[in-house]
Amino acid sequence: MGLYDKEEEMKKNLNFLRQKLKSQHLLIILAIICIGLMAMTFSNGTNGRIRQVTNQFIVPFQNGVNKVGNLLGSWASGFRNVQALAAENEELKARVGDLTEENTRLSQSMSELDRLEKLYALDKEYPEYTKVAAQVISKDPGNWYNRFVINKGTKDNIAVDMNVIANGGLIGIVTEVGENWASVESIIDDESNISAMVASTSDTCIVSGNLGRMSSGKIDFSELRDDGNVVTEGTKIVTSSISTKFLTGLLIGYVSEVGDDSNHLTRSGTIIPAADFKNIREVLVIRELKQTKENS
Amino acid sequence: MIRKIIIFILIVACCILQTTVFSLQSVTSVSPNLMIIITISIAFMQGKKEGILTGLISGLLIDFTYGSVYGFYGLLYMLVGYASGFFCQVYFDNDVKMPLILATVSDILCNFVVYVVFFLLRGRLAFAHFLMEIIIPEAVYTALMTLILYRLFYVINHALVNNQKKGRQSLWIKD
Repeated sequence: MGLYDKEEEMKKNLNFLRQKLKSQHLLIILAIICIGLMAMTFSNGTNGRIRQVTNQFIVPFQNGVNKVGNLLGSWASGFRNVQALAAENEELKARVGDLTEENTRLSQSMSELDRLEKLYALDKEYPEYTKVAAQVISKDPGNWYNRFVINKGTKDNIAVDMNVIANGGLIGIVTEVGENWASVESIIDDESNISAMVASTSDTCIVSGNLGRMSSGKIDFSELRDDGNVVTEGTKIVTSSISTKFLTGLLIGYVSEVGDDSNHLTRSGTIIPAADFKNIREVLVIRELKQTKENS
Repeated sequence: MIRKIIIFILIVACCILQTTVFSLQSVTSVSPNLMIIITISIAFMQGKKEGILTGLISGLLIDFTYGSVYGFYGLLYMLVGYASGFFCQVYFDNDVKMPLILATVSDILCNFVVYVVFFLLRGRLAFAHFLMEIIIPEAVYTALMTLILYRLFYVINHALVNNQKKGRQSLWIKD
């Protein structure tokens, strides 16, 4: 009997509380919790475990939605583009011919290079990296950042700081990784800064994303010491050998504009990235870390 | 209870749609802000308390999947939900004008706050550029999506509330 009374009383209290709890109080309590979370991230950085748990739930759905979307997209484009594809096929066939010819020529010079390298006992400068293909499954919900999630993770031996490329150019770097997902920060993100160099002269510069240039598809470079004014429009920019995270010699893009800084010592300008950021669907993750390579 | 679970599922669905279907058209394009739409819709129909909770859950979902500072979007969207809740008093059936204005205004305000906190403080001063490239396109896109989604949320919410009221009346408890 007494127990029943207590229960009843508690229920009454709870109801009372629910009615008494005004929206302002609720707002203040939850705001304090949010501010606490923010303080937590500022002191310890983003807690990986929370993200792991949420993504564990969300990634399978994103994967599914994406598969359906791709299927529908490929159907639609399949019906639409038959003629365009035929024309493209012709063009590509012609290109295959050209490339085969070029390939034979290059393989000849390659064998010569091998011979000479052996002669001089040189190591290969750019080793073949092992790569793994992954699909982009989701993007940052806001429009301020250029981060995306791919559908491969620790299961496929992907680790933080691995470089991501697509159609020949650098795309970005893995910043977080879970069992079956990894999030990638692209080089066009406003917060991205990477150390780069001019391919021909090895003069270093800094390449940084700029949200303000997003629609023109360009990114910035700055701090370039270019004493002979070698850099002009079309100069190739690659990742530098002094970068701690990016492997050496990955193609970033080509210079589009260049000008002297007001200090007359350095130059800066814009770059057109080699990778096509407008439609990234599949990317390649290079399964090699710069740090471990140097340590070993 | 059922209503709360369904609203939660709707929030998660919005989050998934926003990160996949609407964004993947191209990684550099602008996508609409579905999370703001659901927050202001629920707040407008159900009042401040539910607005606060919907905003908090939507915001935290963004924080936990993509955000760089946990709790930032949670707080921002919660305030949006609370503010939209004030307009619950002028809530008329199936009127889309008010949520349209609310969604557009709150989307612009939220993006302005994001700009100030994450960009202006890092020395990105070209506000006009950001306004034209991101804030305005997103606001327009969000407004268009509100026209469609608000109707949908209205129908779902209406059905659920009616269901709940019927249950209450059968027990002779006044609402």
